[in-house]
Amino acid sequence: MSRPSTRHSATLIAGCVTAGLIALLALVSLLWVPYAPDDTSGGRLAGPGGGHLLGTDKLGRDLFTQLMTGSRIAFEAGLGSVLIAAAIGITLGVLAAFTRGWLDDTLAALLDILIAFPTLLLAMLVVAARSATLASAVLAIGLAQSAVVGRLVRILVKRVLAQDYITAARTSGTSWPRIVAGHVLPNIWPTLVVNLALQFGLAILAEAGLSYLGLGAPPPNASWGRMLQEAQATFTTAPAGALAPGILLVMLVIGVNLIADGLRDTLDPAARGRR
Amino acid sequence: MARYILRRLAFLLVSLALASVVLFVLLRLLPGDPANALTSVGAAPEQIAAARHSIGSDRPLPEQFAHWIGQLASGDLGTSFISSLPVGPEVGARLRVTVPLTLAAFVLAVLIAVPAGFLAAYKRRTWYGALLNGVSQLGIAVPVFWLGMVLIAVFALNGGWLPAGGFPQDGWAEPAEAMRSLVLPVATIALVMSASLIRYVRSATLDVLGSDYLRTARALGSSFGRAMWRHGLRNAAVPVISILGIELASTLLGAVVVESVYALPGLGSLLATGIAQHDYPVIQGVLFVSTLAVLLIGFAADILQRIIDPRLRGRLSGGAR
Amino acid sequence: MNITKISLYSGAALLGLTLTACGGGAGGSGAAGGAYDKNATVNIGSLYEPQNLDNTAGGGQGVTEALNGNVYEGLFKLTDTGKVEKLLAKDYKVSPDGLTYTFTLRDGVTFHSGKKLTSEDVKYSLEKVLAKDSQSARKSNLEVVKSIATPDARTVRVRLSKKSISFVYNLSYVWIVNSQAKNLKTSEDGTGPYRLRKWTRGSALALDRFAGYWGGAARNKQAVFHYYKDATALNNALLTGAVDVVTSEQSPDALDQFKNNQNYKVSDGNSTTKLLLAFNDKAKPFTDVKVRQAVSSAIDDKKLLESVWGGYGKLIGSMVPPTDPWYEDLTKVNAYDPARAKRLLAEAGYKKGFTFTLETPNYDPHPIAATFIKSQLAKVGVTVKINTITPDQWYTKVYQNRDFTATLQEHVNDRDLVWYGDPNFYWGYDNKQVTQWVDQAEQASTTAEQTRLLKKVNRKTAEDAASDWLYLYPQIVVANSKLSGYPVNGLNSQFYAYDIKKG
Repeated sequence: MSRPSTRHSATLIAGCVTAGLIALLALVSLLWVPYAPDDTSGGRLAGPGGGHLLGTDKLGRDLFTQLMTGSRIAFEAGLGSVLIAAAIGITLGVLAAFTRGWLDDTLAALLDILIAFPTLLLAMLVVAARSATLASAVLAIGLAQSAVVGRLVRILVKRVLAQDYITAARTSGTSWPRIVAGHVLPNIWPTLVVNLALQFGLAILAEAGLSYLGLGAPPPNASWGRMLQEAQATFTTAPAGALAPGILLVMLVIGVNLIADGLRDTLDPAARGRR
Repeated sequence: MARYILRRLAFLLVSLALASVVLFVLLRLLPGDPANALTSVGAAPEQIAAARHSIGSDRPLPEQFAHWIGQLASGDLGTSFISSLPVGPEVGARLRVTVPLTLAAFVLAVLIAVPAGFLAAYKRRTWYGALLNGVSQLGIAVPVFWLGMVLIAVFALNGGWLPAGGFPQDGWAEPAEAMRSLVLPVATIALVMSASLIRYVRSATLDVLGSDYLRTARALGSSFGRAMWRHGLRNAAVPVISILGIELASTLLGAVVVESVYALPGLGSLLATGIAQHDYPVIQGVLFVSTLAVLLIGFAADILQRIIDPRLRGRLSGGAR
Repeated sequence: MNITKISLYSGAALLGLTLTACGGGAGGSGAAGGAYDKNATVNIGSLYEPQNLDNTAGGGQGVTEALNGNVYEGLFKLTDTGKVEKLLAKDYKVSPDGLTYTFTLRDGVTFHSGKKLTSEDVKYSLEKVLAKDSQSARKSNLEVVKSIATPDARTVRVRLSKKSISFVYNLSYVWIVNSQAKNLKTSEDGTGPYRLRKWTRGSALALDRFAGYWGGAARNKQAVFHYYKDATALNNALLTGAVDVVTSEQSPDALDQFKNNQNYKVSDGNSTTKLLLAFNDKAKPFTDVKVRQAVSSAIDDKKLLESVWGGYGKLIGSMVPPTDPWYEDLTKVNAYDPARAKRLLAEAGYKKGFTFTLETPNYDPHPIAATFIKSQLAKVGVTVKINTITPDQWYTKVYQNRDFTATLQEHVNDRDLVWYGDPNFYWGYDNKQVTQWVDQAEQASTTAEQTRLLKKVNRKTAEDAASDWLYLYPQIVVANSKLSGYPVNGLNSQFYAYDIKKG
């Protein structure tokens, strides 16, 4: 393993470039889009060209505009979900790691059950309780992912707690909060950050799936999943509507995953050998 | 080991009991009214109240809970608010689609992912190692409904080799048709599942390849194959089994998108309909059965891990946890 | 025996061979010349699975589609062209005061269980619709029934508390069930040409020809309704031959692949389903007629219809579809005219526009229509906030609690103009004159008078913009060319399967 670092940074750079392009699109969409999202002045299912880079949808709305808005929604979904997942997951995981015996087992089993409970069905429940908005989707995805994060944090923290220096710190009278802040968190964060980056990609996919089923961001702010669903029936006659969001979605998820891989190599020395 | 199994079983039962209480309470906290699913535009308020009364959703919660627990104790999952069909047989019918679907996809995914993941790690410096890794990256990023659409277009609409969806009404009484209708759904799930499994297997293999004991074993003169078999496999298997257990459990209900794309009457779609209609007996029944399945799978995974790795035997819950 | 197998084979034949290929059952002999297979299985694809099998217990649209006329029959039936004909009633007489109806039952009718039809069953069936826990959508229409007598086994005498000219029409919605039958939510006992073979929830409902049927036997041996949750999956099933006919297409997008293919027939019939932008006429600012008129004038219905349905569907200017007897073309009333909309808004004191929330059910076509309305109203200064809700939330929030300003909803039944005469209905339209007209129309002695009065209601509600009627859905049935005799209009979502011939 003589030249790992260059290859690793290449992964990181490739990921940053891919995801960065889409991030740029999302940022630009905040300041400028070719048409207003609810401008229906284009013709029904117009083909690419004629003032519409990718053509228009059924209502005559510009597809490129929707694609740009969609990239923003994808980032909102990813960030929002990961924040929720991190907040709840870390709390639960640390708590579980510090408890022992049956309480620990119960928390572990609870996390396992939660993990097995699909995001989609959680989302249906959240939508049933609130209404179908991006916030509901993000909440559901974040909750589902908090179980995954919690499970990981529990393992990581347990591993750290078993180390000798923790025992040393405890015998020297250091308080638990200080142990957590001083020893546990610094030791687990590299692995945690990598996992959260992976969750970011998964959250974007999950939001697309929810929107595909009509449980995601409401119109007129089309998310990519909603675009895919609408374009599904007109795939043969107007393929741009189905291809463009699909490609961007795959690009963004791969980009984020590459960043996660790259981060693992730079941040997590223990895992360096793996890549 | 026998004592461990007993303890683990007791734990399983307690978890199940806890889960069913939590489930019941959470569901009833959700806003929503099962009577709405029975209502049509034009219904008078008295009709809606009558609907609530006839399904019993207007009774006090403790009473409803006692009723449900009483039924459960006698092995009855209750009756659907909406269809009036007993939930137990219905869940059973859905399981006859979902369990074969999940198991077949799972086995196929493992058959693809274990060798591919191992190769991706062991031959990571070669072009095909990189290719395998790249393909798995792509596989993770493709939405499952999109993959389903493509497979249907190629194999059902253009090729005409396989049905585009549906499941024979008489189910496994028509084995050939039942199997044909599961081919594409199984392939869809297996492809998506193996993409993420490949990465786990690859990472577990890399851990083992870089470990001291493997180097020691080889230095002591074991052949690579022998060292890998005696030490590597065992060590790599423990975390992988834990992941496999979770994948298997989450596919039981998580196949709902695939079931929708392929119009399969599976457990996930029963639950989805139940949630949309606020049909509590159905939701409770499905979730009770799937919670039981999750716990059993976790149980099996723990036992398996202990058989593989005796070092874990002192601990109650799974090694890779 | 094995339905799916047959359908799959016929599917394979369809893809590879031409129109005349014989792929169906044993005796298939081609489509031409009216020859058909008397023992064919007809596979019907639908998006509307029954919730249960009882239309007085919330079975929903799906149970009407699958069982109405096929498994259950009423004293009267509503034909596919919208006429009311005698079915289990051989004859009936109305007393001069219009309050007593005497029905004579048809002879030789037996239930699927083998029991003979008697007047007791008719009495029981009517009482079932009127019962306290009945979820029948027609319950309120039939509450004029004061008493039901059964002088003999073949005669039923119904007394009404007041005259009801729609009584016979409403009876076409009342299924005659065996008074001794049990578990009607999960099984059946009707008198129709088919009996239920098996309902597999989540996938299919199979009907077998009933050998003891009193009338002409069904033209096919089996009719199987296959249920799909997703329109694309349903169209795929038709493309691969897994189903022979789709009862009602919900999007025009997939139609091109059938229209340009001689193996399929696309028919564009009459529907009774209307898409409404329903204002809460009791909530500001829609209490003001001018605001409602302005919003109606600001929305280009034609463009919306074109967007959602391509070239299909019709524009309507009121709640009344062309198949209702009191239809009148009112599309000119409050027609698309943004300048007028602005003027009306200014007159109503909303020169700068206003903001309102549009409660939008989360399934098609509502989200797309909401998006369109938002963009149209923005042009006249009105801001729309779209709130996406589930059907459950719609019933609780909008229908029961009236906690809304405006909502989108599809109304599927024919003759439902009369709801505007009920000030307690969810949209809160309250006009004493209209209520009186609706009342008088129901008590009219002749249909001519009923029609005259309801035409007045029609015009008044249209002028008042009680709601904004965006468009009338098309009723598109797509079938394999080998099929004939299927209903093309699907009024009130009925789908009579017994005349379907498979070549």
